[in-house]
Amino acid sequence: MKSQDKPLEDKPAVPWWQYGAALIVVAVCTFIAVSLRSYLAAANLVMIYLIGVVGVSAKFHRRVALFTSVLSVAAFDFFCVPHYFSFAVADSEYLITLAVMLAVALLISGMTSRIRLQEAVAAEREARVETETMRTSLLSAVSHDIRTPLTSISGAAATLRSHWDRLDKNTRDELLGSVTDESERLSRLLNNLLEVTRLESGVHLHKGWFPLEEIVGAALHRVERQIAGRPVLANIPADLPMVAIDDVLMEQVFINLVENALKYAPESTPIEILARNQNSIVEVEVLDRGPGFAPGHESRVFDKFFRGRSDKIRGAGLGLAICRAIIEAHGGSIRAENRTDGGAIIHFDIPLGDSPSELDSATRRQS
Amino acid sequence: MSDHRKNPLAKRPEILLIEDDPQIRRFVKAMLTAEDYRLHEAAAGEDGIAQAAARNPDLVLLDLGLPDVDGIDVIREIRQWSQIPIVVLSARGQERDKIKALDAGADDYVSKPFAPGEVSARIRASLRRAAVLDKNDAAETVNFGNISVNLAARRVLVGGSEVHVTPNEYKLLQVLLRHAGKVVTQRQLLKLVWGPEHLEEPQYLRVFMGQLRRKLEADPAHPKHLITEPGIGYRLLTEC
Repeated sequence: MKSQDKPLEDKPAVPWWQYGAALIVVAVCTFIAVSLRSYLAAANLVMIYLIGVVGVSAKFHRRVALFTSVLSVAAFDFFCVPHYFSFAVADSEYLITLAVMLAVALLISGMTSRIRLQEAVAAEREARVETETMRTSLLSAVSHDIRTPLTSISGAAATLRSHWDRLDKNTRDELLGSVTDESERLSRLLNNLLEVTRLESGVHLHKGWFPLEEIVGAALHRVERQIAGRPVLANIPADLPMVAIDDVLMEQVFINLVENALKYAPESTPIEILARNQNSIVEVEVLDRGPGFAPGHESRVFDKFFRGRSDKIRGAGLGLAICRAIIEAHGGSIRAENRTDGGAIIHFDIPLGDSPSELDSATRRQS
Repeated sequence: MSDHRKNPLAKRPEILLIEDDPQIRRFVKAMLTAEDYRLHEAAAGEDGIAQAAARNPDLVLLDLGLPDVDGIDVIREIRQWSQIPIVVLSARGQERDKIKALDAGADDYVSKPFAPGEVSARIRASLRRAAVLDKNDAAETVNFGNISVNLAARRVLVGGSEVHVTPNEYKLLQVLLRHAGKVVTQRQLLKLVWGPEHLEEPQYLRVFMGQLRRKLEADPAHPKHLITEPGIGYRLLTEC
């Protein structure tokens, strides 16, 4: 959550263009005032300049507002007060006009800046509260997800240690199994959390040209143990052009999607991965025959810590959030749907990428 | 089954573990001792280098994040006088470090946290490769899955029938075969197959790898042998 980057108090460098813009504003006001000066009283011409001052103070730095105030008074004196085109004043009454104008302009610019400052402070406070709430919900979600496996690990290990001789072999195996499974789960959670945090703080993509088939193949190899012989059909046309992607991150997308499908769909049902090239956009679908998404969950499943059918299947609710962050970083979009004849589809598309500047950075990363 | 256990006359392979974390040392020691390896331990890089020189182990298991010396420097140091297999332990996600280690002469890597059996599988593969290299008479034919490569005749058979591979595809396969089981970085492959002037053209490598997969693999999008390690390189698996 970043606070707005508006120029506020005490910033040493005011961009020079703000002064330029103020100059233009005063010039425009002068043009209007000069064209109207034969019809309007000088006091009314002052109003035109004051509008300019308000405008500048609302948008720009306080020092620029101050500059505009003084410049407006000078321009008003020079162009709109007889003798025209001279700073000399014909009637001493105009001195009062000038003084009041300067006072009003300074007051307006000062007040406007202060209001803006307060606004910015309020916005920042709001953002801070929002971050705080997010951090709290993140902490509670994470601490629950960490505590549960930790309890099983330490419980199982302690039981094994103190009752080793009294436990039969099956029970020992079970307890040891839960130690390894739960630690793996912890490590997965930690990896996902790190990944989400890293992606949210801005992803730097190491793009290269890759055949999608290769990325899918790498992902399927990584989840081979979970696939355990279940039917996974990848249908990627041989003539699909190479795509400009970050291979490591895109592999993660496929791993997460296939893992989800494996978790939710019954064991005998097939999982499909389809890809096609549609007007220089690669469309990818991962389909399963699981229970699909509950109504209304289709868009929320990509939120951090959102758990779909959470009672039966475990997880921290980060997998799809990671997918969305990666796909969006690639300039694509991702959505969830139910299949008409049962099951879930995750659909995403990414641009093929044709700009030469995107050419392979994968080698550069090795040097 | 470890190879060395089949032959009672073979001496138990010695492994040097260079790792600063005592908990990891403890369980790796327990695991490898149970698998009948002899284990030496070093908690720091300098000591590791010294022991590697003094004990001349059969394999070095090296953690990249050591307190005193950069793990990459340990590899470079050992490589100055020895070709013993070095398997690197490194955190998942640190692809850059893994590539650096492999390019510096490491034979393979295992990502932390390790999956069960992963460390011993990598150790076995590296030791086997070293043994083959020692014998220095590569087999005439290599068989894996339903694929058979006749190195003398440069012929490739899939399911008993000959498959035509182009010279570059064959070269690629040959390099991977020579390093079977081990990950070969993209850079190493480009250099060995296309020559050092093509290091910046990894797309070619991917195209040729795709073609080779289509010729050798039953499902090129779900390969069993020609495996991609994203961000790092390729690995030929000859046993599944």
